[in-house]
Amino acid sequence: MFSTGKNYLKLIRGARILHLDSRKSIPQKPELKTLPIFQYPVSQEDTRRVYVWGLADHGAIGEATALYKDKISYLLKPKRLSFAERYKVTDIACGYGFTVYAVQSSDKNIVYGTGINTDSQLGFNEIDKKKFPDNMVFAPRPINLPLKENTTTKVIGMAAGRAHLLILTMEGLFTLGNNAYGQCGRPIIANENYEKSRVVHHIPNIKGSKITAVAAGQDHSILLTEVGEVYAFGWGADGQTGLAHYRNEHRPSLVKGDLAGQHIIKVACIADCVLALSDKGKVYGWGNSEYGQLSVKGDSCQVYIATELNLPEEIGHITDIATGGCFCMILNSAGNIYVWGYGILGLGPQVQKILKPTMIPPTLFGNNVYNRDIKVTKIYCGISQLAALTNSGDLYMWGGNKFGSLGLGHRNDQFFPLRVAVGAQVKKVACGVDHTVTLCKPFI
Amino acid sequence: MKTRTLIPKIKHVVSDARIAWNVLNGVFAVYKPPAVTYLNTRDTIIYRLCEDLNSMQVRPPIQHVCIEGDTTEKMEVVTHPSYADHPLVVGPRYQLKDFKLICANYLNTNSSGLMICGINDSTKLIHKLKASKPPSSYKVKGILGQATDNYFKTGKIVERSTYKYIKRDVIDRMCASMQAAHQRKMFEVSGIDIQSQAAYEFAVKGLMRPANNDIPMVYSIKCVDFTSPEFTLEIVAINENEMYLKTLVHDLGIQLHSVATCTQILCFRYALFNLDLALLPKHWELQNILDNIEQCHDILNQNRSLLKQKNPILTKQNN
Repeated sequence: MFSTGKNYLKLIRGARILHLDSRKSIPQKPELKTLPIFQYPVSQEDTRRVYVWGLADHGAIGEATALYKDKISYLLKPKRLSFAERYKVTDIACGYGFTVYAVQSSDKNIVYGTGINTDSQLGFNEIDKKKFPDNMVFAPRPINLPLKENTTTKVIGMAAGRAHLLILTMEGLFTLGNNAYGQCGRPIIANENYEKSRVVHHIPNIKGSKITAVAAGQDHSILLTEVGEVYAFGWGADGQTGLAHYRNEHRPSLVKGDLAGQHIIKVACIADCVLALSDKGKVYGWGNSEYGQLSVKGDSCQVYIATELNLPEEIGHITDIATGGCFCMILNSAGNIYVWGYGILGLGPQVQKILKPTMIPPTLFGNNVYNRDIKVTKIYCGISQLAALTNSGDLYMWGGNKFGSLGLGHRNDQFFPLRVAVGAQVKKVACGVDHTVTLCKPFI
Repeated sequence: MKTRTLIPKIKHVVSDARIAWNVLNGVFAVYKPPAVTYLNTRDTIIYRLCEDLNSMQVRPPIQHVCIEGDTTEKMEVVTHPSYADHPLVVGPRYQLKDFKLICANYLNTNSSGLMICGINDSTKLIHKLKASKPPSSYKVKGILGQATDNYFKTGKIVERSTYKYIKRDVIDRMCASMQAAHQRKMFEVSGIDIQSQAAYEFAVKGLMRPANNDIPMVYSIKCVDFTSPEFTLEIVAINENEMYLKTLVHDLGIQLHSVATCTQILCFRYALFNLDLALLPKHWELQNILDNIEQCHDILNQNRSLLKQKNPILTKQNN
């Protein structure tokens, strides 16, 4: 009797609640306290990732999983490099079919290389005999440098040309690879065999002043010293050494011309046309001008002496420079990009050749009615591909798309800047002939 | 910009419901509260309108004519109100099914904010407005540290995570990156060959509208407020739906190495209509709606492109 009454009361109470709030009939949510709180990994300030894309067949990508056995292997989209997850990559450089990574390490292996090694541009390594017998290195392996014992030296800069490599460390400059034109800075030896060569040339400094940056063209090299002077050596047939002659030069020699007295902060070259940027925002050029890259008077296709470019007044102060195979690109302080030369320049499919520096509309870099504060901060060039980084950390690429080296997911040429889907903030881009490597910082 | 007055200046009072019915024909803006379905909102508006119209002087019943008297003598013609047309027999003069009401920007149950509606004949205008694909702007609020099974705060919490390390600048960078990714998709959605000169010329001009109605296209994602763990995003989009916005918040959470749940979706602008134009539920009355129609039609008349959009590029004027 008693229990019946209890049951009845319970029923009534339940019914009342049901009537007031129908949600009560849905099973209760689990107590928040019972759920675990996940902690996902967060990157450090100096964590870097490397994304790579383009032709993988010659091993320059350095990713074994990207290789196929019976067809040409290439990556159309950016791929995160597993090597960079194991080592702390601090700098990157791309040559013609090879890539070098500078890493932060406690031992002497501070530079790793991958790709074509026909001219020992990646140095000699005992591993090659067993693992990579065909002068092609398919995974990054250390480049042996004659560093001092117990050294804590770091890589300051790297540059790579067609078949030579410049590594600038705190102990000075090391050059490897082909020296047929003196591009390694040592005397030219006729009929030298570069294959499996152990030669690494060392240039500690230039006339007592430290080297601060290096740049490499196809077969010549350019050094920048702390006093803002430019030294060049290597192939000079197009005047790309800027030494007022067309001969090959193996000694690092001071580039004069209009550069005299100027403090140069950056030199850019990828093939045989060289641009130099002074701290006053002026641009100087020398080398090949076949496609009107260096707007000089007369019908000469070669400029063998550094000449100041007469750029239009409205461009103003220039903050970054880049040269490709047949075009030039500059960035001014307002964040606008100007291009000129021949080829796909980013001005649509109809523009093949343009001699006057022409601005690429900033709308193409995401500066639209909703985002007025986006601007380009850095520019890079490969032989035929062009790249720009914006202040939002996005990478835009355009130009020739050899083996998917633009990373856009297809192999068609791109006629205006388009964003590359890289899953991190891009910090540096290195373009080879048919592959691209980017150094990135994770968002979080 | 004309300011809206809820209490109108009365010039002359119309007491005849038939006149009011005839002018009840246009586009107006309402505020849809959250947790109310679209159909519920629609029916409430129509119900209120019916009430208001029926409380006015409605059409009297038609006269019933009868001829009375002895057929052999002169007969008498008598008229009296027909019972067959009497409101007590046939129901009120204005009923729910008499109205046509559709909206241009459909808001799901969990969304709130500005909804542009067209009533009766003006449903045609709504179809035109929809076809011109104007962008709508949303304020989307989210909370970090918890994920639910339906991506909204109403769902069951399925995962919790830490969020203390997430700072404003990371969210800003993440939003910029997500937006740039959407912008690249714009070329695919716009339906032109990216290799062509036309694609270049459009790209130079700026943002493009999508070619069809299916694929959501986001034009701007910005974090406008962040007080950990809550954040507010401002999103401008075309062809979006509620689930897409919720998923954006969810994705943002994952990209930030945490989890996030959407807590509020507010549409604050559609085409050139702003939220301050919208009528609150307590103001859904005949007089207010008629005033609102007048204001909305001022905007439509000044911007004819809203109804017939020929420009594929988004300009500042119609965002």
